[in-house]
Amino acid sequence: MSVIQVKNLTKIYSETEVPVHAVNGIDISFDKGEFAAIVGPSGSGKTTLLNMIGGLEHPTSGSVLVNGKDISELSSSKLIDFRLYNIGFVFQAYNLIPVLTAKENVEFIMQLQNWDKTKMDKRTIGILESVGLGDRINSKPNQLSGGQQQRVAVARALASKPQFILADEPTANLDSKSTNQLLEIMEKLNKEENITFIFSTHDQRVVDKARRVITIDDGKVVSDIVKKV
Amino acid sequence: MMLLKIAWRNIWRSKTRSAVVIFAIASGLVGGLFASAWMNGMAQQRVVNTFSIETAHIQLHNPKFAENFDVKKTILSTEEKLKEISKIEGVKAVTSRLIISAMAATANKNMGVTVVGIHPKTEKEVFGLYKKIDTANGNFFISKKKNAIVISKALAKELKVRLKSKIILTFQDYNGEITGAAFKVIGIFKTDNSPWDKSHVFVKDIDLRKVLEITKGQSHEIDILLNDYTQASLISSDIKNIYPELLSEDWSEIQPYLSFITEYMDIMMGVFMLIILGALGFGIVNTMLMVILERTKELGMLMAIGMNKKRIFLMIMLETILLALVGAFVGEIISMFLIKYFGRVGINISSLAEGMESVGYSAISYPVLEPYRYIQITILVILTGIIASIYPAIKALKLNPSESIRTL
Repeated sequence: MSVIQVKNLTKIYSETEVPVHAVNGIDISFDKGEFAAIVGPSGSGKTTLLNMIGGLEHPTSGSVLVNGKDISELSSSKLIDFRLYNIGFVFQAYNLIPVLTAKENVEFIMQLQNWDKTKMDKRTIGILESVGLGDRINSKPNQLSGGQQQRVAVARALASKPQFILADEPTANLDSKSTNQLLEIMEKLNKEENITFIFSTHDQRVVDKARRVITIDDGKVVSDIVKKV
Repeated sequence: MMLLKIAWRNIWRSKTRSAVVIFAIASGLVGGLFASAWMNGMAQQRVVNTFSIETAHIQLHNPKFAENFDVKKTILSTEEKLKEISKIEGVKAVTSRLIISAMAATANKNMGVTVVGIHPKTEKEVFGLYKKIDTANGNFFISKKKNAIVISKALAKELKVRLKSKIILTFQDYNGEITGAAFKVIGIFKTDNSPWDKSHVFVKDIDLRKVLEITKGQSHEIDILLNDYTQASLISSDIKNIYPELLSEDWSEIQPYLSFITEYMDIMMGVFMLIILGALGFGIVNTMLMVILERTKELGMLMAIGMNKKRIFLMIMLETILLALVGAFVGEIISMFLIKYFGRVGINISSLAEGMESVGYSAISYPVLEPYRYIQITILVILTGIIASIYPAIKALKLNPSESIRTL
C-alpha cells in the first residue's frame, strides 16, 4: 500500500519577475519501506518536491496524500503537528540543536511527543548504538565530526518511528568514508524498522545504494527506475 | 523542562553578548536600587526623627487648645489619664507637656519661641531629644536646679548665648497677665531640623507650671509612644472612644507630610525603576532580535521537525526571562552588599548639610531597602523579560521553515 501519493503536483514561484515552475505536474507514489532517491540537476525541483511531500511548502496545485490524507489542505499549525508525528527530517547541514548533547538531540522529538521517560531512554540509547554512537551520547554537536553529526540527525529522525524519512542531500557535506558509513546505517535501519526513506541527492553513492531512483528535470519526472534485488 | 534547558544553555552560547546584557541589567538595577535605598533611608530617618523629636506617635490635646494655643484650654486630670493610657495594649510610654508661646530675650536679641514644659523622666521615655545633646554641650535636666532651660545650638547662636547664660522668657500666664522668668541654659541640642530647633525651648514642667500659675493635674499635651508606629491610627481611635472630650491625633494627622513622604518615596521608586527597566527592556529586545537573526536556520529546523508555535514562543520567552533574571540576580546581590555597607557607615554629604537640615533631613543618610523590594524588582524584571520577548518571538514565528533552513 502507498504511504505517500503525489497527484499532479505543481509549484510555481510567482514572486520572481518571471514565474518559476519548480514542480510541474508530478504524479508519484511511495510504498512502505522504500529506499528511494530523487536525483536531478540543480534547480530541477528535487528539494521543492521533497518540501511539499514534507509539508514544508504548500503546492500551487495538486495534492500530497499521506496514508490517504491530503496534507496540502492542512493549516500551517496542523502541518507542524503532522510533521511531528509522521515525518523524520535529515538535512544537508545536519541541523542539530547545538546546545544539546547527542542523546538530548535524539530525545527532542520524543519529548515533543510526550514519550514516557523509560521508553524514551531505551529507544534513544538503542538507536544511538545502531548508528554507532553508543559511546558519544553525551557529546555536543561541536564535539562530533560531520559524519557523526549526520548519524545523530538520522537517529533523531528515526527515533520517534515516523511514517517516512525525508533526507535532503544528506551526504553533501560528508567525505566518502562517512558517506558510506551513513548509507550503510540508513539501509540497515530502513530494513530493521521498515521505514520509508526518500532522498534528494546528487551523490552517485546514494544513487547506487537506493533501490528506486526517480530522476526529475524541469520539475517533471523523467525516469522512475526500481532496481531488481 | 527540555525548553527550559535549551533556553538556559542558549544564553551561554554567545558569552560576550550575554555578559554585556547581564552587565547592563545589573548596573541598571544597582543604580536604581541604590538610589531608591538612599532616598528611602533619608525619608525613613526623617520620619523616625520626627517621631523621636517632634511628635511621638499619638498626641492628645484639648480640642480648643489645638485651635489657638490658648493656655487655659488644658487637659484635666492628666495623671489619671497617663496611668490609664499606659495600660492600653501597644503603648510603650507616655508623657505630658505644658506648651506656651513666649518671647525669649537676651541682652542681644529677642525671639519668639515655643516653650515646652516637660517631665524629664517620662519625656526621655517618649522622646529622644536628650540624645541630641553631646557631652560638651551640657545635659538634659540631670540636675535638679530650678529654672533650667535647654535650647538648640541654632537658637543659642541667634541669641548669642552659651551654657550657663541666662534667657528671659516672657509670656501670658493662666490669668492673662504678662509674666516672665529667667532661665539658665544647661543644655544645647542640635537636631537635623534647623527651623524646628530655632523655635523650641525646653524647661521643666514644674518650673513653667509655677510661672504660668497652672494647677497640678492640668497639661496641654499628652504624648504617646507606641511599640509599633503603624498601629497609631488604630490606637488613636481607641483613645478617642475613651476620651471623647479630647482631640486624639496620630502622627499622620499631626504631620500629614510624613505619610506623604513615605507614599511619595514609594511612587518615586516605582517610577524610577520603571524608567530603568523600560530602557533595559529595549536593550533586551535588541539582543533577542539579533539572537533570532543568528538562529534563523535553527528555528526553521525546529519548526520543520515539528516544534509548534506555542513552544517556539515559550522557548524565546524563557530565554529572555532567564537572561533578564541572571542580570537581576547579579544586580540585586551587588545592590544588597552596597546598601548593607553604606547602611552601616552612612553616606555623608556634609557639604550640603545646611540645605538638608533646613528642610529637616540629616546630612548623613543611611540607605535602607526592605527585603520585599527585592522581590518586587524580581517580579518587575520577569515582566520586563516577558514584554521584551514578545516582539522577537513574533518575528521568530513569522519565519518560513523551508526558507530558513536554507539560510547560511
